[in-house]
Order: sequence, then C-alpha cells, then structure tokens
Amino acid sequence: MERDELNITAQLARLEVSEADARRFEAAVAQMLEYFSKMRELAVDGLAATTQLVEENRTRPDEPEGFGGADELLANAPEREERFIVIPNVL
Amino acid sequence: MKNGDRWAALFSRTEDLDRWEAWARRVDDKIHSFLELEPTRTLEEQPVVDGPLRGTPFGVKDNIAVRPFRLSCGSRLLSSFVSPYTATAVARLQGAGAVPVGKTNLDEFGMGSSTQLSAFAETCNPWDATRVPGGSSGGSAAAVAAGLVPFALGSDTGGSVRQPAAFCGVYGFKPTYGSVSRYGLVAYASSLETIGVIAKEVSWIRRIFPVIRGLDPRDHSTVEYRPREARESKGRPLTVGILKLGDSGGDAARLSPEVRAGWGKALEALPALGFRLTEVELPTLDYVVSAYYVIACAEASANLARFDGVRYGERAPEADNPEELVRLSRSRGLGEEVKLRILLGTYVLRSGFQDQYYLRAQRIRTALRRDFERIFAEVDLILLPVYPCAAFKRGDETMDPFTQKLSDVYTSLANMAGLPAMSFPVSIESGLPVGMQFMAPPFAEELLFEACGRYEEHYPAPDSPLFSRDWRA
Repeated sequence: MERDELNITAQLARLEVSEADARRFEAAVAQMLEYFSKMRELAVDGLAATTQLVEENRTRPDEPEGFGGADELLANAPEREERFIVIPNVL
Repeated sequence: MKNGDRWAALFSRTEDLDRWEAWARRVDDKIHSFLELEPTRTLEEQPVVDGPLRGTPFGVKDNIAVRPFRLSCGSRLLSSFVSPYTATAVARLQGAGAVPVGKTNLDEFGMGSSTQLSAFAETCNPWDATRVPGGSSGGSAAAVAAGLVPFALGSDTGGSVRQPAAFCGVYGFKPTYGSVSRYGLVAYASSLETIGVIAKEVSWIRRIFPVIRGLDPRDHSTVEYRPREARESKGRPLTVGILKLGDSGGDAARLSPEVRAGWGKALEALPALGFRLTEVELPTLDYVVSAYYVIACAEASANLARFDGVRYGERAPEADNPEELVRLSRSRGLGEEVKLRILLGTYVLRSGFQDQYYLRAQRIRTALRRDFERIFAEVDLILLPVYPCAAFKRGDETMDPFTQKLSDVYTSLANMAGLPAMSFPVSIESGLPVGMQFMAPPFAEELLFEACGRYEEHYPAPDSPLFSRDWRA
C-alpha cells in the first residue's frame, strides 16, 4: 500500500497516523492485503453474497419505552455543563 | 455434593461468601483474570431471585454490559465508562437467580487471541503463568479454569470463546448465530459474533444455554429457538465427520506436536464412546481466514466509528475543533491492533475496492456455507482442531499478530457459517491442556452437549494447579 493510500484511508477512518505509525501500519496492512489476494484463486462467479445469516424479516411495534439510565449516561460524558455535553467550537 | 450445590449456597451464607471471595482474590492476584471483581455490586439493584441458578456467581467478559460495572472493552478509550444498562443474556441469568460478580479481561474489543492486547492487564494461564490464556475471552477462560466461578460469558467472533477454553482446559461453547441476543455486547463484527459460555463441566453449559437463548426485541438478528430434529432416532451411534487435515489451510494450520497428539487421542477414543467416524473434506478451508478477516475488519471499521470521544470515553482535551477532537481521541484511546483492523476495514470498503475484497469474501462465505450443507447431509457432527498449537508463551515473538490471525483457520469456520460449535479438553500434553471442537448444524446444540458429555465421561476437564473445590488451598 502506498503512503498516500494509507493517509487517505486513515483520514476516512478518522485516525491520526504519525510518521512512525505510518511505517508500521504500511507493513502490516500490506501483509494482510497480500494475504487477502489469495481469495482470487477461488472461483465464486454466480454465487450470491452472504450479507447476513438471519434472513427472515422481523418487525416489532414501534412503541416508546423508558430507558431509566439517562443520568448514568450523562455521567459518562467527558465534559458537561448541566445536562449539555460540551465540545470545542464548531465555527 | 451435587453439581452446583456448593455454588448455590454462596450468597445465602456469609462465611462461604467471605471465604470464597478471599480465596478468589488471592488466586486472581496470580492470573489477573478479572478487571473488576465485586461480588455484591449488582445486588443492591438486583437482589438474588429464586430460580434454577439461584445464587450462582458468574464472570462476564468486559465487552458485555452489566449495570453498574464498568464496560471498558479492554480499551483505554473506554477506561472510565460505566454501563447504564445490562445485556439481555446477563439480565436473563440474573432473572434465573445467578449473580454477575465481575468483569473479565479481554483483548481490546475482542481483537486478539492471547489477552495480551488489553490496555489494563495481562491475564496468565492458570496452568502456567508464563503462558497466555488464549483470547480474546482469556479472562473468562482463566477464571473458570482456576475455579473462581463455575461459568463465565464470553463473545466469539472468530473463536474467542473456544480457543481460550482449549488453552485453559475447559469447555467453550459458541451457539448458533442469532440464538442468543447480542443486546449489550459491544459490537465488533455483527454478522459473525455471538455471546458464548465457558465452563468446567458440560452440565453447566447445558443449564445456561436455555436461560440465555431466544428472541429479544432489542436484537433483531435473534430468532426463536427451534431445536433441530435429530436426523434419526435416539440411541444410534452419532456419525462424526473428521476433517481431513492435509496441506490445506497453509503452514499456519499445521498442528504442533502437542495438538497432533491430542487429535490422535480423540480419534482413538471416539469409536469406543459410540461415535462412527468418517472423513470429510472442506475445499474452502484455504480461503476462510482471508474472507473472515475482510468481513470482520469491514464490520469493525463501521461499528467502531461510534467511539469518537464526544459523548463518552477518554477525550483529547486540547482539541481545537470537533474534527480534531474525534481524530485525536480515537488515535490515543485505541490500541495498535484495533487501529490496524479499522484501517484494513476502511480500505476494503473504499469505493473501487469493494468488489475485490468485501464482495468476494461474502461470496466465499456462501461457498463455505454450501460446503457445510453438503457435509451435514451425511454426518451429525464435525470434529476438528481448535487451534494449531497449545497455549504459547507470553511475549512469544513467533506468535506475532499475523501468525495469530492465520491460526484462526479452524475456529472462524463456525462464525462464517453461523454454526454452533463447542471446544472440549482431550488431553494434557507437555503439561498443557489440548482441546478439540465439535461443530453441528444450526440449532443442533443438543448434539454438541451430547457429544461433549460423552467425551467428558471418558475424559473430564482436568483440574488446573490453582483449582480448589473448597476455596481453601
């Protein structure tokens, strides 16, 4: 994998990759991609893709239900002003 | 004493509880299987109720939610996250009287095979503290093998319940995909993973499974549990397909001398236990690891996108804008292996690469499922190894992350096909436990319990050096 490709991928994955990181990841990603290329050996034309294992479609009534843990959820926020979660300025 | 009795009285007799807890803490200081061990923490909100598991303590892998324990997933990013809710599988066990006593160590987000990739502790194998307990549910397996709890929950995405169970000499059960709710299991690869059970006796798994399985409105991939009808009537010998081990699967699939010895012993023992053996071939075996990692990483890259340091988790405080906040928080909070899998998954899903990787992997998945349909038309169960080697040394450089991935060849099959599988101990070789696994058709869990139970009569799970029945040693 080229360095540019790695940087684009890291950007899409929202990861900061330092120069030292990039060297390690380049090697590790290349090793896996080379291994993945083995998949080309198997003829799979005409086979449908398995995207999920449970194929029956299921529905349920769309009814509101209390969660009961709102305060505990908020307590996990890294920075808070009363019941608002603080983030750096957007603009 | 009947199985379970010594555990059932635990929470109703203070002196037993104190003795067990003091002993468990002492033992756990040696193996670090629990990230948190607080036996009475859930009892204030959830007192012990009457039921078939009344008062039975159990461990829960720390990627499964138990209110009000932490839910760290072994990740620095979630080191202070406290779960405001409880996973369905755990809640059902509580409803049957069992008590979650703590959270067990794991490879970060379940990504690893050694439990060395936890941000918080390195769990040791109760058989030999210089060796890994396997992973990613290594804390659960080590805790059970040491006798700290009679059973523990884990999660199995590519073998993460069965492999550590085999490394620690206990039973590891991965149910049919969709039979146990994943609500409250922090998602890594949603189409592959299930919650599973680790125990030192088959009877525990037999008792636990009916409690945790079944439809859950909170997980739409769950199905109503309909046990598969036996192929023929009871009493006849079970036909076991023995996976033909040739050169397929590559070098990494080659069994170590210890595992080969265990494999030989299992093959020798089975006919006398009422199993009829026949050889089966799996032409897709060579491709399963590639396809598995493409799918697992792709799903991981999507599932782990939620960890952004905004609403919860460790945050990079100096970020100037939200975009930087997310990038820095993820980069600092997530470990190397997790980042690698996110990068791989993001790459294989990028436009232009999807057909080559993701779509092809999903087609291989279909080919693999067809292989199994063909095989299960002829046999009741398949016997295969769990992992190519026994528990390796902590820090062993020959078992680098790449080699560990290739070694998932035997376990990832069940996840790719959604099939139930169970690992069971077959022998001790050079002082280390060796396990094999049975795989069964969907919803044929009863066959797994029957087969592992028969083998257990011949060879019960051995006691690890730390194990104690009276919590006194």
